[in-house]
Amino acid sequence: MSTARAAALILAKELRLELRTRELLTATVIFALIVVVLFSFAFDPTVAESRRYGPGLLWIAFLFAGSLMLHPSFAREQSNDTLDALRLAPVSSFAILLGKMLANFVFLFVAEVILVPVFAVLYNVSLSGVVGRLILVFVLGTLGLVVTGTVFSAISAHTRMRELMLPLLLLPILAPLLIAAVEATASLLSPPATLDRTWVSFLAAFDIVFLTASWLLADFLVEE
Amino acid sequence: MKLRIVATFLVVALVCFAGYAALFIAPDERTMHEVQRIFYFHVASWSACFTAFTVAFIGNVGYLATRKINWDWLGVAGAEVGVVACSIGLVTGPLWAKPVWGVWWTWDPRLTTTFILWLLYVSYLLLRGLIEEPGRRATLSAVFGIFAFLDVPLVYMSNRLWRTQHPAPVIFGGEGSGLDPTMGKVLGLCIVSLLCLIVLVLADRYRLESLRHEADELRQEVESRTLGSESLSTKAPS
Amino acid sequence: MKNFGNLFAAWMLVWAIFFVYEVSIARRIARLRQDMEDLKRQLQNK
Repeated sequence: MSTARAAALILAKELRLELRTRELLTATVIFALIVVVLFSFAFDPTVAESRRYGPGLLWIAFLFAGSLMLHPSFAREQSNDTLDALRLAPVSSFAILLGKMLANFVFLFVAEVILVPVFAVLYNVSLSGVVGRLILVFVLGTLGLVVTGTVFSAISAHTRMRELMLPLLLLPILAPLLIAAVEATASLLSPPATLDRTWVSFLAAFDIVFLTASWLLADFLVEE
Repeated sequence: MKLRIVATFLVVALVCFAGYAALFIAPDERTMHEVQRIFYFHVASWSACFTAFTVAFIGNVGYLATRKINWDWLGVAGAEVGVVACSIGLVTGPLWAKPVWGVWWTWDPRLTTTFILWLLYVSYLLLRGLIEEPGRRATLSAVFGIFAFLDVPLVYMSNRLWRTQHPAPVIFGGEGSGLDPTMGKVLGLCIVSLLCLIVLVLADRYRLESLRHEADELRQEVESRTLGSESLSTKAPS
Repeated sequence: MKNFGNLFAAWMLVWAIFFVYEVSIARRIARLRQDMEDLKRQLQNK
């Protein structure tokens, strides 16, 4: 079975599972909202401050929510021993990984689509005219988050204290992604709205580096 | 064994001489005076740190490529020694910065990158502590180690693109950079001596890991023999 | 001598950290060797 087809099948399976309960999606959105609200309690930002710190806050919320949400994708497999079945299937390890990455991407992206307009309202940010370019930034940023996150959830699934291990491993690695995503978002949301090519290329480079590394090291992640 | 003793002696002598040079031979710096001398072993600790982490990376790749456990020992030795060297850098930096810049810390590219580097490799060591089975521990930590190493240039680039506050590099490039030749020689001496020290410490750490492996194998043999003799006695006809 | 205190502290810390680390390795090695001697003796007694 080709990698693409296998990945697509796994993606479909994950989506079907999630659609039945929708618990992961709901939890992710609510958690991100909580982070945003807590921030305003802790810092009580003025309107100007909200505009300035908005993009940073948004991405921090997604990073936290994402790193918590990524864990279940491998943990669920472990509790039901379904990973063994997947391994036995005539499917490459990278296909399994890719399927999960795509599923995680879809979940997180849907959460973002719900959350960004809410954020725009809470922080008085106008999204008109930048939606397309904003989507590009979010796609690239979320991709990086999801690629590294899925790999690390595979790693941390084998450790004790795995719920703590995943954010601990993931967040330092994502530091450059955070900077790039925040800067790119900020340049779009503050006048004049420009798409910062440097940061967008950086995001793309980040994604390519880690996707390639995942592809090369996939076998080691999925093995027994 | 004899080689080790001679090597240790030589390295200690070299390090002592480097220390002496840093404190007394190097000329006094115009604006910062004495405290500037921290620079000699601060920069040296960075080159040591980077070397150690590169060794760790080589160990990680080597293990995944060959599956021989020796490479994993190299990986953990490099990571641990690197964290020690990195900690030294992170501690000597602020001690220099406070009198010179007026602040203990600042979030500029180099400092931020180093802090993240430290966090990444501490996580590597934590990860290892949480996986019991040696084979799996080696594999998973090797994958993480590779990701961490790949991340470092990205961290540096992103921070550099973002802002700069660190003084213009004294040796490599930048406007107004340049080093008094004596200072340069002393710096070179310090870097080399610390590198030699690091190699020695790495070798020791590697040896510790290989001994641990031997001890585990012995332990397993003892256990299996104990179990074997127990089951023989329980099989005795009643 | 300006800020000699900081220089001294840094100097001491560098060597202290390295020294403590080396000593910790040496101690762990010694303990391992001890364990291995015990284990070898156990094996011989079987």
